[in-house]
Amino acid sequence: MLKDITIGQYFPLNSVIHRLDPRVKLLYTFVFIIMIVVANNFVALAFCVACALIVTFVSKVPLKTVIKGLKPIIFIIVITSLLQIIYVKTGVTLVSFWKIRITSGGLLEALFLTFRISFLIVMSTMLTYTTSPTSMTNGLDRTFAPLSKIGIDFNIITMIMTIALRFIPTLIDEVDKIISAQKSRGANFESGSIFKRAKMLIPLFVPLLFNATRRAYELAYAMTCRCYNGGKGKTTMNALKYKKGDWLVTVLTFAFVAGVIVLNIKFGEYNAKFAFNSAV
Amino acid sequence: MALLQTENLSYIYGEGTPFCVTALDKVNIEIEKGDIIAVIGQTGSGKSTLMQLLNGLLKPTSGRVLLDGEDIRSSKAKKLETRFRVGLCFQYPEYQLFENTVYEDIAFGPKNMELSDAEVDKRVRDAAKYVGIPESAFKTHPFDLSGGEKRRVAIAGVISMEPEILILDEPTSGLDPKGREQILSLIKNYRDRTGKTVIVVSHSMNDVAKIASRVIVMYQSKVLMTGTVDEVFEQSEKLTEIGLSVPQITEVFTKLHTLGYPVSEKVYTTKQAFLEIKRILNRGKDNA
Amino acid sequence: MADMADAILKFDNVTFRYDSDDVKLPPAVENLSLEINKGEFVAVLGHNGSGKSTLAKLSNGLVTPESGDVYVLGMNTKDEENDLKIKQTVGVVFQNPDNQIVATIVEEDVAFGPENLGVEPSEIRRRVDESLKIVGMYKYRLHEPHKLSGGQKQRVAIAGIIAMQPQCIVFDEPTAMLDPEGRRDVMNAMKRLNKELGITVLFITHYMEEACEAQRIVVMDDAHLVLDGTPSEIFSDVNYIRSLGLDVPQTSALAQMLKDDGIPIFGETLSVDGLVDSLAKILNRG
Repeated sequence: MLKDITIGQYFPLNSVIHRLDPRVKLLYTFVFIIMIVVANNFVALAFCVACALIVTFVSKVPLKTVIKGLKPIIFIIVITSLLQIIYVKTGVTLVSFWKIRITSGGLLEALFLTFRISFLIVMSTMLTYTTSPTSMTNGLDRTFAPLSKIGIDFNIITMIMTIALRFIPTLIDEVDKIISAQKSRGANFESGSIFKRAKMLIPLFVPLLFNATRRAYELAYAMTCRCYNGGKGKTTMNALKYKKGDWLVTVLTFAFVAGVIVLNIKFGEYNAKFAFNSAV
Repeated sequence: MALLQTENLSYIYGEGTPFCVTALDKVNIEIEKGDIIAVIGQTGSGKSTLMQLLNGLLKPTSGRVLLDGEDIRSSKAKKLETRFRVGLCFQYPEYQLFENTVYEDIAFGPKNMELSDAEVDKRVRDAAKYVGIPESAFKTHPFDLSGGEKRRVAIAGVISMEPEILILDEPTSGLDPKGREQILSLIKNYRDRTGKTVIVVSHSMNDVAKIASRVIVMYQSKVLMTGTVDEVFEQSEKLTEIGLSVPQITEVFTKLHTLGYPVSEKVYTTKQAFLEIKRILNRGKDNA
Repeated sequence: MADMADAILKFDNVTFRYDSDDVKLPPAVENLSLEINKGEFVAVLGHNGSGKSTLAKLSNGLVTPESGDVYVLGMNTKDEENDLKIKQTVGVVFQNPDNQIVATIVEEDVAFGPENLGVEPSEIRRRVDESLKIVGMYKYRLHEPHKLSGGQKQRVAIAGIIAMQPQCIVFDEPTAMLDPEGRRDVMNAMKRLNKELGITVLFITHYMEEACEAQRIVVMDDAHLVLDGTPSEIFSDVNYIRSLGLDVPQTSALAQMLKDDGIPIFGETLSVDGLVDSLAKILNRG
């Protein structure tokens, strides 16, 4: 059933990572994404991967689940790897056939990119796995609140996110109900030609859109009645507070940045030819 | 042989997950031709699940639904046939209207049955008549109608399939007294004129008393009682216990009876009450 | 404005009509005057389209009259500068519980109003807990709203209004979409906040059994206010109430049938116990 779809892919567990302030998690995820792109040699990359694995381990989210999260991007990884293999012509030629020449440099480049993309995704999904949608919205709201000083009102965006999260289950229920009702009138959603099936979307989407519009109007009235005015002068009941652990992770995040930079400098920019030669 | 019958019908939501809920537990009911059956019970008692099993929208976890003695899931053809012969109108059906005109919306079901254009036209007109929608409204956009009218158009959309068994899930909910009265009388009319079976799921004991010939009381996924309106309402204490209320007037007469007055307790409508008081007053006169 | 000392809500000769693109619609409310006093529990009865829901929208300035004025504690709802104060004084609970809950966690939804008003976090916490307790939903404070029943959602919506500490709450058919259990719970919550918190209640409904629980009933028909009195007064004229497309309680209906038949019936005939006494007298005579 449609209801079984999980939204936001939150994986509710009680780990240190889950309990962290969402702002810290947003911070280190953002920093990680930048640093894994900045990392320019295998040692720095390995350092990033190790850190990501530590976060995964501490979060208690099963490794299997994390790997499953990579499924949707396998296609992208394969394509980019192939392109690297085909177009990078450094190092030793390993195989050569037709117009294609596969080199050691190409292979290493592909490997490098595969790790980079995979762990970029791993850390992003770790953010949603360990942070509930509500907590995430709260974190985004607080992180970007200062932007209001320069005229960018982030409150509206988090309000939209909250309402979307609140109404997705309601609308999914409604889709279920409309499908059942139209099936009772003989509508066939499961078989027939593509044209026929596309036509069957009308009895589903017209009522759904109409009802959603009606809900939106009513919600607007209800929000006005509760003195909503776009978030001006708004306070928060569950104000986020940085705790000891949050400070510690913030410090570790900066240490991580320093680590990547040091490794970058020490081992220099990765060079396929050099890497291969030294490996040999 | 009953027209529609269930055999140890059970349904579990989310079976095999930690969140599974038994919605229906070994239900056995029989539905005869021409009855108006009221199914009552609190939210979560399994009423709506039972209705969706009866027309094959849900697949039973165990047990069977028999139409003319044959399992409705025995073949694909039987499944489709059941969809049309057992017409189910959901709660708040007006939220499923989608066509540009009243006529087209009522015609959606018959068209899916692949009937001839002439037959579709005839059925739309008949159905509209049953629910009291004038032909002058056929070209109106359904969204421009009032709440009560929309509800009736939606019901016509199921009636137009001419189901042998018409199931209505909470057909009066959210309507004002006038709208409720219209729906109840159209249900009664439909049965009287066509001789077809109607099953009404309801919370309102007053509505039930007005139209039903038989009552099925559901409680915690099981059938608690079945019987005529008299037989079921007689057990007013039991009904109150499970969170259903008997009509106000029944309460009055039960109290009078307990106080030792020679009135019957089987009074559910004001009309019955009036006749009962008259009967006793007249008897008093005769004795004097 | 001494005459308004006790009126929390005053409609003064109000006329209102909804906008329409092509035709001029008939007024939804016409020349209506009504005063609701502090601490009252008033029910508004009327069939669908009688204008009773428009009354709710007029009461806190969601819409403003075409002519005439609406006053909340003497503040005209047309004055924009009073807007926030008016909405904080008169809260509105609507029919569909799904469409008035904003947040994904019960307690965060209840906090929404006070947060918008800029109340201190510790005070919001106190109000949220207290409001949820009044409506009997405290133990659900960390639940997700979409997993609650209709009656529970509606009580969360009520708590969300109470947390703004209004002096008056207008309920626009809050029970219309609920099952009997949900209706009972919402009725009880309404009665409690009227009795225990002294909040004035304006309760719009078409269920006459529920209207009978109010101290005063106002009946609307065709954009006009047609009756205003106690439940017994209102239901003494059964035929008139029926002509307005409204139900009458079975008790009053029976009393009327007996009267029409020339059987004199005296005393209170609206409540079950009242009718039992009155009928007992007749039967004793017989």
